[in-house]
Amino acid sequence: MKKKLNVVNYIVLLGATAFFVFPLIAATEFSLRAKNATTHNFDNYIWVFKQDGFKTTLGTSFRLAILTAVAVLILMVPTIVYLHLGGARWKRFIEFVCLVPLVVPVISFALGVQTAFPTFLQSTVYELSFLYVVISLPYTYRALDVGLSSIPLLTLVEASRASGASMRQTLMFVVVPTIRSAVNGAIFLAVALSLGEFTLAVLLHWDTFPTWIANISQGHILGAISLSVLALVGSWLLVLIVAIAPKSFGSNKTQEVAA
Amino acid sequence: MAERTGPQEGAGPLPQKRGKNKGKGTFKSLLPLLPFLAFIAYFLVFPLTFIVRDAFLSNDGHFTWLNFEECFKGVYGHSFYVSLRLSFISAMIGAVAGSLIASAIVKTGSRTRKAVAATSSVLANTGGVPLAFMFLAGFGAEGLVTKTLKALGWNIYGGSFTLFSETGIILVYCFFQIPLMVLIFSPALENVKPELREANDSLGGTRISYFSRIAVPLLFPAFLSTSLLLFANSFSAYATARAMTAGTLPLMPLLIGNLVDGNVLANQEHLGHAMAVSMIGVSIIVMGVYLLVLRFSKVRS
Repeated sequence: MKKKLNVVNYIVLLGATAFFVFPLIAATEFSLRAKNATTHNFDNYIWVFKQDGFKTTLGTSFRLAILTAVAVLILMVPTIVYLHLGGARWKRFIEFVCLVPLVVPVISFALGVQTAFPTFLQSTVYELSFLYVVISLPYTYRALDVGLSSIPLLTLVEASRASGASMRQTLMFVVVPTIRSAVNGAIFLAVALSLGEFTLAVLLHWDTFPTWIANISQGHILGAISLSVLALVGSWLLVLIVAIAPKSFGSNKTQEVAA
Repeated sequence: MAERTGPQEGAGPLPQKRGKNKGKGTFKSLLPLLPFLAFIAYFLVFPLTFIVRDAFLSNDGHFTWLNFEECFKGVYGHSFYVSLRLSFISAMIGAVAGSLIASAIVKTGSRTRKAVAATSSVLANTGGVPLAFMFLAGFGAEGLVTKTLKALGWNIYGGSFTLFSETGIILVYCFFQIPLMVLIFSPALENVKPELREANDSLGGTRISYFSRIAVPLLFPAFLSTSLLLFANSFSAYATARAMTAGTLPLMPLLIGNLVDGNVLANQEHLGHAMAVSMIGVSIIVMGVYLLVLRFSKVRS
């Protein structure tokens, strides 16, 4: 549905592009400045990779992201499939529950976790994964729900069960591949959230990549700007590839909604 | 893969049929949901009940209202006001600018729209130190944009503007508020079919009647719900506020963080809990307003 843009549209788009691109250009220019402030080079970027904790905290964040994504899938896929089959009467209720994390400010949630959780849970950094599952619920629920609404789920499940597959097999080998792009969307949301989350990590005193950036930025401003550019451009390229890449399965349009 | 349920796409409410034989086999039908419910109970409900309980405790462990009285007084009460005002303004700017951008984007081809959606999802998630530094490089006193504008004859630092003032923070928040609006409002805009426009025109309607009778009433619930989401988003923003202000602007999340991290007196922890509960209260009120407006707009139409 391509339509003609009018003058106002062009002005709006131009203004928006300027607002979003200029800070990035400025930051890139700063990040390439050499120490003597007259020439440009990549020293600041090299500095970033040499810092203590770059690899370890990035590793921690990636492990958290993977654990979060796996936990989201194990928890949410069977639940939402059930809501689409036998448990439709609970759909409203579960939908509501999944929206609650939007209403609770993350800082309030962090305080609650701090006071409520027993020490054995608070002694491992992986507690964050479970909390990330909770705060990503509104988004992952919606992504998976839209995906499941777009397929003839009941027919698929009945066919699979009639052919002698167990419920677990049906989920893993029939349902999940069919809603591949919605699953990808949910995974992507969970991963993006866990890689960038700051509030919970810092208030529960864990060292993840975002808290490490915050710490390191206090010493070396140009280095910190390079890190900012890296983080933004890196995640942008990643998302663009996922969004525009040719789809491997079917022609679901759920990606658009999920992104 | 054809049976997509159309009306669910928008942000509006969807009327749903309720099971008539509720109660019969209720427990049994709940069984497959138990893992999910147990997870939610432990990781969401349990921490929230604790924080509500702690908000009503004095330091020696007795019930008290004092924490809540305290958090509406003095610097804490002021932070409440500043936070609310800042969130409101940034939500309004984000909503209006975002919907203007979205209305231009929906006219473009599907590839562009996809790329914009992907880019928006990244921008909407920026925050914290990276965002703060980008704006320092752009709009800081020595920033490139500042210098360019100065060369063009407009010194943005001529007045009282700094990046660390309320206006500055709002500018920074726009960087993630506007894309969030674009991201969430676009699907609603795409649902406004061109047939409606044609119907309006062929029935003798004008441009004005199209907007006042069709487009605005149709999009209002989605616009409102997204604006409230933006409000909640900036109200609870912590990472960016912390990276930007360094204590110059009293915002609720920052004060709570300070109280709990023990930078202030150690015995004020429960005050932090009370403020956190008040923040949840504000969010609940906002959602309540949304539901009321929604009901009102449904009755009218």
